[in-house]
Amino acid sequence: MATTTFAAIDIGSYEVSMKIFELSKKSGFRELNDIRYKLELGSGAYMEGKLDPGMVDYLCEILLDFKRMMREFGAEEYRACATSVFRELMNPIIVQEQIFQRTGFRIEVLSNSEQHFLGYKSIAAIETGFKKMIQKGTAILDVGGGSLQVSLFDKDALVTTQHLKIGSMRIRERLRDLEKTTTHYDQLVAEFIRNDLTSFQRLYLKDRDIRNVILMGDFLTDTIFHEDMKDSIITKAEFTSRYENTVHKSVQQLSEEMEIDPEYANLVVPTMVICKSFLDIFNAESLWAPGMSLLDGIAYDFAEKKKYIKSVHNFENDILVASRNIAKRFSSGKGHIQGTTAIALAIFDSMKKIHGMGSRERLLLQIAVQLHDCGKYISMGDVSECSYQIIMSTEIIGLSTQERAIIANAVRYNNAEFRYSSEYGNDTTLDRDKYLIIAKLTAILRVANAMDRSHYQKIESIRTVLKDRELSLILDSSRDLSLELGLLKDKVDFFEEVFGIRLSLRRKKKM
Amino acid sequence: MEKKNFDKPEYFVNRELSWLKFDDRVLSEARDKHLPLFERLKFTSITSSNLDEFYMVRVASLKDQVHAGYTKTDIAGLTAKEQLKQISLQTHELVRDQYEVLNKSLLPALEKAGMHLITGHENLTEKQAAFVDRYFEDSVYPVLTPMAMDSSRPFPLIRNKTLNIGALISKKDKKKGKEVLVFATVQVPSVLPRVVIIPSAKEGDTTVILLEQIIERNIDKLFLSYNVVCAHPYRIMRNADLTIDEDEAEDLLVEIKKQLKKRQWGEVIRLEVEKDIDERLLSVLTTEFSIKEEDLFSIDGPLDLTMLMKVYAQEGYDEYKEPKYTPAPVPAFQNDRNLFDVIREKDIFLHHPYMSFDPVVNFIRQSAKDPDVLAIKQTLYRVSGNSPIIAALAQAAENGKQVSVLVELKARFDEENNIVWAQMLEKAGCHVIYGLVGLKTHSKITLVVRREESGIRRYVHMATGNYNDSTAKLYTDCGIFTCDERIGEDATAVFNMLSGYSEPKHWNKLIVAPIWMKDRFLKLIAREAENARKGIPAAITAKMNSLCDPVIMAALYQASACGVTINLLVRGICCLKVGIPGVSENIHVRSIVGNFLEHSRIFYFQNGGSEEIYMGSADWMPRNLDRRVEIVFPVEDEDIKEELKHILDLEFRDNVKAHLLQPDGSYIKQDKRGKTLVNSQMEFCREATEQAEKIKKQPEHSRVFIPAEPMEMEEP
Repeated sequence: MATTTFAAIDIGSYEVSMKIFELSKKSGFRELNDIRYKLELGSGAYMEGKLDPGMVDYLCEILLDFKRMMREFGAEEYRACATSVFRELMNPIIVQEQIFQRTGFRIEVLSNSEQHFLGYKSIAAIETGFKKMIQKGTAILDVGGGSLQVSLFDKDALVTTQHLKIGSMRIRERLRDLEKTTTHYDQLVAEFIRNDLTSFQRLYLKDRDIRNVILMGDFLTDTIFHEDMKDSIITKAEFTSRYENTVHKSVQQLSEEMEIDPEYANLVVPTMVICKSFLDIFNAESLWAPGMSLLDGIAYDFAEKKKYIKSVHNFENDILVASRNIAKRFSSGKGHIQGTTAIALAIFDSMKKIHGMGSRERLLLQIAVQLHDCGKYISMGDVSECSYQIIMSTEIIGLSTQERAIIANAVRYNNAEFRYSSEYGNDTTLDRDKYLIIAKLTAILRVANAMDRSHYQKIESIRTVLKDRELSLILDSSRDLSLELGLLKDKVDFFEEVFGIRLSLRRKKKM
Repeated sequence: MEKKNFDKPEYFVNRELSWLKFDDRVLSEARDKHLPLFERLKFTSITSSNLDEFYMVRVASLKDQVHAGYTKTDIAGLTAKEQLKQISLQTHELVRDQYEVLNKSLLPALEKAGMHLITGHENLTEKQAAFVDRYFEDSVYPVLTPMAMDSSRPFPLIRNKTLNIGALISKKDKKKGKEVLVFATVQVPSVLPRVVIIPSAKEGDTTVILLEQIIERNIDKLFLSYNVVCAHPYRIMRNADLTIDEDEAEDLLVEIKKQLKKRQWGEVIRLEVEKDIDERLLSVLTTEFSIKEEDLFSIDGPLDLTMLMKVYAQEGYDEYKEPKYTPAPVPAFQNDRNLFDVIREKDIFLHHPYMSFDPVVNFIRQSAKDPDVLAIKQTLYRVSGNSPIIAALAQAAENGKQVSVLVELKARFDEENNIVWAQMLEKAGCHVIYGLVGLKTHSKITLVVRREESGIRRYVHMATGNYNDSTAKLYTDCGIFTCDERIGEDATAVFNMLSGYSEPKHWNKLIVAPIWMKDRFLKLIAREAENARKGIPAAITAKMNSLCDPVIMAALYQASACGVTINLLVRGICCLKVGIPGVSENIHVRSIVGNFLEHSRIFYFQNGGSEEIYMGSADWMPRNLDRRVEIVFPVEDEDIKEELKHILDLEFRDNVKAHLLQPDGSYIKQDKRGKTLVNSQMEFCREATEQAEKIKKQPEHSRVFIPAEPMEMEEP
């Protein structure tokens, strides 16, 4: 059958939601069901790091209902994602397992960057104008319950993306006791977030000219602006007037006026204040709120992977640009990275059948190359450990924490001695599959890096020939390669250990 | 246009009094000599059961208000006390009329027809008397439990709605000059038929006697050592409804809940006795039941006329009954085609009971069997005993379909019944939702999800009446089958909501109460008013069971004042007044009371020429618009729109069964002289039958041989 049904599930901080989609090559997406249940998982998780057992019961009940609803549309494939709530738990794996045992759902905890990357995908996917928009300075603002994400684009590429822990619900929880002490709750919120905002402005925004602001998610579009949205554009004047006649109202009033649940209504003011503050520092004229949610992003991602749709925008490039920017921030040599990338990819591409890795790992390899000596910025003496630490603590949009760990490890073992699985002992953060990917990427990275040891980019081009158990690299270089070739031996040994392939290097015969 | 006040009390009629007028219209059918005699018996019986329900629910509720000290007035400006007073007056009048019809018209006519209803045992022939006494000894006596009251035995508990015989008895060995009367009572057993057939004097006739007469005749056998001084039947109605009526205002509910403890459980709110009851006996009863004059009904004939339905059901006498109408097949389904294929071609309209309800049952049955169907979702409010729909749903679940059913447990008088269904469905593997807290789910909608070649397709049936195959033969209702994706999406959202999930971001087509519907109707009415103001022809035609929402009525007044032509077909309660100068001069109200119970709700808005027609489950009553889950849906198929317009048109041309509301609040029938008689219900029967016949007669032109399909087994 040419169609399939797919369920996207989002376990958020204040609601659990699911959308069921029908996907087909012919007509792309079709939303079949959109279902939400208000469940404030966040309030407990943020304060205590644990979920109340009652909440877990609730959640399981809802998920069982979801399961039934999936069957109603014959949906077998699903992706269930949890976001900040689960990230803040001390025992996410235990809760995940419990949910699996009780409902059969495997819950995937999205890293912040993955989450926002998916959200961002949903926008890029629906809107053809997006590509044009990001030619100029554009900010994407994604206000969640636990945190917010702000990403800046310029000249068709991602400049930076930052994660600030000032989500609407977290703010409300933090200021709960102070609420009674003031009649200007909005100002309280504004002051509370001011520090984070000015830091962001100073470090990342600088004097960048932001023309467009895109508001992600569907909270504001479903509540405050649901009736007066034309083409999903809210002008600054509209926003300000709405702001002024919203922020001083009580939750009760808001809930009645907007016909929404009080649980949602009490997130309105913090959300409005956050948006207003950002609009102010961006000095943007209008806000574009297409009303897309994480669920759309999850489904888009699935459809893209299963080739039901063709992407209009090169998302991998965004990830690469983002990591290139990180490399730049840590003053990595651009030439060396380019040279190494070419060699690494040539090796990777020529051995697809042998290493069994796919396009995602190819992307990880590229990023690993980009970041392989970022640690130098901190210490020339301890590059591998510093690089590892930098990568582990720098968010890279679109990558999961696991993927980041793979990169960080590959980079670490580029110089440091490879730690075999037996040496990991009780460290269970990386499973078997991940461990193998690290080994494979390390092997390739080491060889590629060594071939540009001098950072002179001596190799002009490279051709690979794989025959039997030997991979020949035919190098085209008019320079002296003795340093590179001389230091290559142990890398070649490791390469052979990992892939069972012997590397041989030959110079291209000159005509 | 100046803003005028359209919600003055004098513009409205109290809903209870308006309801009594409705019962009176039903009684007028019983009076109508053009009607077959037995049909008239049926209508008399209906007025009685109606009145019983009215007392149990509405009068009980008003009594509660009085006890709770609730002094707010209704829309017509009456307090609960004032309402009770007027209700008492008018109910007494209604009952008087009822028995006048019975005694002066129906009983003599029955005699003539050879059906003898013996209302007094004194009138039995010797032979009959012997039969009756034998029957008493064999069948009645063993189940009787006579009870007496004296100093050691308190007044016994008399059960709600039961018929009883009260007697005064005295000891046989009384001392001279001093007669001590003792009260005794015996319930007329409800396990035995009330109407007992006895031998007739004349061959071919039928003679029946009421059970209480048999007992009365033999009462001395119950109190052997006593003299029975007098014995008379009586019947009480108690305020025993545990639930607070949903029709009441919000603040009243709060008030009554607070006062619940003070509520007088089981208080007797009505006492019916025979007209010539012994004064002393009556005095015992009124004292013990603490009944006041206004709640006492002295009845000139047998109590509890619902028994007339039993007389109606007697075999034979077909010439005195309306010929039974068999619902015609629905033209679109008069073929062997797959139901889903037919619906996919075009929306299909059903008009019950003129058209058969079978397609609706088949819809569920086919869905249960169809391998491509994934899920069935349905709301059930009142279901028939042994419902084929329930059976089909259970079958579907057993076949592995996802079946979700919302069973409304709060459907009045059906609660117990519904719990039984619900449990049966659960056992079969259905997902059962037991209604929503504080809201009755009154909407009638079925959703079938089917996986087809081109993807998921949703089939929806929506209707104005319940999924009840028995009442579908008696109630006039409309329904529609569609696979319009926008409606399908909405239907999914409705069931999401009913399962406790958030409401959808927007509705494509459906209008759903209690949140969105009232505003929407107000907007539709206001739009007509606006058009009228601009000089564009504007009209509203609406058909419903009851009209008593104050906000809607005020909007209708406003629209009428602007010049909108408003035609209303309101079968039951109508709190709106017609012909108030400057307020309701353009409003015309009529009520059709016929053989079938008018039940459909259709709403037509002229909308400056691009007409909009809606159908649904909601009346314009506060309970429907504010406290129930209801669905009203637009009809967009042009052919169906025409059919609906035809229905409204024909009903407005009805001059046989229509009663017209007058400015003074009374209802009158039209003067038929010189006019062609139009009985809309009969017309619809004829039309539906003709349509079906036409299709049946179409000769098969095709010469293609059609291979037979494998036989499908019907479910038991």
